[in-house]
Amino acid sequence: MKALSYIASRALQAFIVLIGVSAIVFFALFLTGDPAALMMPPEASKQEIAAFREAMGFNDPIFLQYGRFLLGALHGDLGISLRFQRPAYDLVLERLPATALLATAALAWSSLLGFALGIIAATRKNGPADFAIRLVALLGQAVPVFWLGLLLIIVFALKLRLLPTGGIGTARQLILPAIALGAYYISAITRIVRASLIDALAQDYVRTARAKGLSQWRIMMRHALRNALIPVVTVQGMYFASLLGGALITEVIFAWPGLGRLAIESIQNKDFPVVQAVVLFAALVFVVANFLVDLAYAALNPRIRL
Amino acid sequence: MSPRLAASFDRADLVVGGGLLLIVAALSLLGPWLWPLDPLHGVLTATFRPPFSVAAGALHPLGTDQLGRDLFARIALGTLISLSIVAFASVISSVLGTLLGMIAGYFGGLTEIAIMRLVDIQLAIPFVLLILLIVSIIGPNPINLVLVLGFSGWAIFARVARARTLEIRELEYIESARALGLPHGKIILRHVLPNILVPQIVLLTLDLPRLIILESSVGFLGLGVQPPTPTLGNLIGEGRAYMLLADWLVLYPGLVIAFLVVGINLVGDWLVRRNALRVE
Repeated sequence: MKALSYIASRALQAFIVLIGVSAIVFFALFLTGDPAALMMPPEASKQEIAAFREAMGFNDPIFLQYGRFLLGALHGDLGISLRFQRPAYDLVLERLPATALLATAALAWSSLLGFALGIIAATRKNGPADFAIRLVALLGQAVPVFWLGLLLIIVFALKLRLLPTGGIGTARQLILPAIALGAYYISAITRIVRASLIDALAQDYVRTARAKGLSQWRIMMRHALRNALIPVVTVQGMYFASLLGGALITEVIFAWPGLGRLAIESIQNKDFPVVQAVVLFAALVFVVANFLVDLAYAALNPRIRL
Repeated sequence: MSPRLAASFDRADLVVGGGLLLIVAALSLLGPWLWPLDPLHGVLTATFRPPFSVAAGALHPLGTDQLGRDLFARIALGTLISLSIVAFASVISSVLGTLLGMIAGYFGGLTEIAIMRLVDIQLAIPFVLLILLIVSIIGPNPINLVLVLGFSGWAIFARVARARTLEIRELEYIESARALGLPHGKIILRHVLPNILVPQIVLLTLDLPRLIILESSVGFLGLGVQPPTPTLGNLIGEGRAYMLLADWLVLYPGLVIAFLVVGINLVGDWLVRRNALRVE
């Protein structure tokens, strides 16, 4: 019963967040007062704008419009792309697999390497290895993804001619964008694994395990790492939102036809229904991911009783 | 490791971080004064000169761009413009977030629930996307950028301020201030705020790198301050078109960003340890 009410309250919270995001995305269009003039090309005549305004329903009371927008969104109807004359929802679904592939590749290599570096740093706390790893982590977070992406292109594509500059289709084309996108997370994951592992290794149960004569490996795997995993999982959920932000820029640089590039192109072409669809979709992914993280958190930590 | 070695590593953060920041400050403040070249107008006979070349009677330490403008002068001005935008934006987000967080923590109840749900909503939206959307609607001028960047970053300040206010509001001196009948506004500003000020300032330091990278990303994508006015981001965005020919146009502005972010992070880490703060 308790488990059910926990899940229900989490789901309700997620729903409220999504409603809030939809309101921001919807009312943002009205910041200048006239969304019709905003969406039409600058050379459009007054009559054309007026006709467009009427056709889009911008003359109706604003809360009626919002209600319509919300109801549509719940049915998977996010409006029609002005540029492609196709449902924005379909465009988002079409571009989704490319972004998912890029994000998965980036998260996979950065998590693996981040874990390894974090464990090394924590077990050799304050030693030279720890210091070197910290420096790498610091640099990874300091370098903007667009700059790292361009440097990778300059070195590996333009100078050494080892890898293609962009596009999608072959595994070789995935390498550079995945490195660029993952670089930020590797620092974040390394730092968190190091910090939480140092915390876990100082606990009484680790001392007990040592006193029992367990091997270092067994202590690490069975006792310390399991508990160090909790904050890492939490943070992975939080990073989902910024992952899409990073993917956005990576996709633009490497001509990767995913959601991010769709969003940027739509912004540049004032195709706002598509932008709204991408933002809403990203928020949905974020909220669902965090919901799952909450559940995983409870499953990993027996102290949190569902 | 010996405590003395640990202490010297500890100070190394401050020295290295502060050093990096000093280098950038010297370049952007003293540079134009020692090296008075026009960042906005170039010599069309001296385009794409590599670093340390002499053209049109002047030495160009970082080379020239596609219009023959001196890259060093453009980076110096661009750094100033980017940092000013970031500074004003961080003031908005820290003041707004701290106030809302204190109000949530102090009053509790429905006020707290409403504010903290707003925080959740804010954190659920991909910042870059929302900023791009709004800037493309209201127009990419510096004031709009400051406002959008400022209003996009308040949530983390609110979260931390609320958590600390929850602890403070149970203390005796707050209780006695209440018993004296002081108005809530006065208690919050005069008695709660001074006690959370230091952690909030440290948080501000830790948040600056995020803002610097965000501002440069927006500029890179062409939705920030518009050329010919340089910013760190739009310099790289413009240089991207010529990177096969002139990679220094991409290389050096990015180095400045990296120097700034590493420098601030190191100083921030040192501040955290020094104040024995816990940062989640």
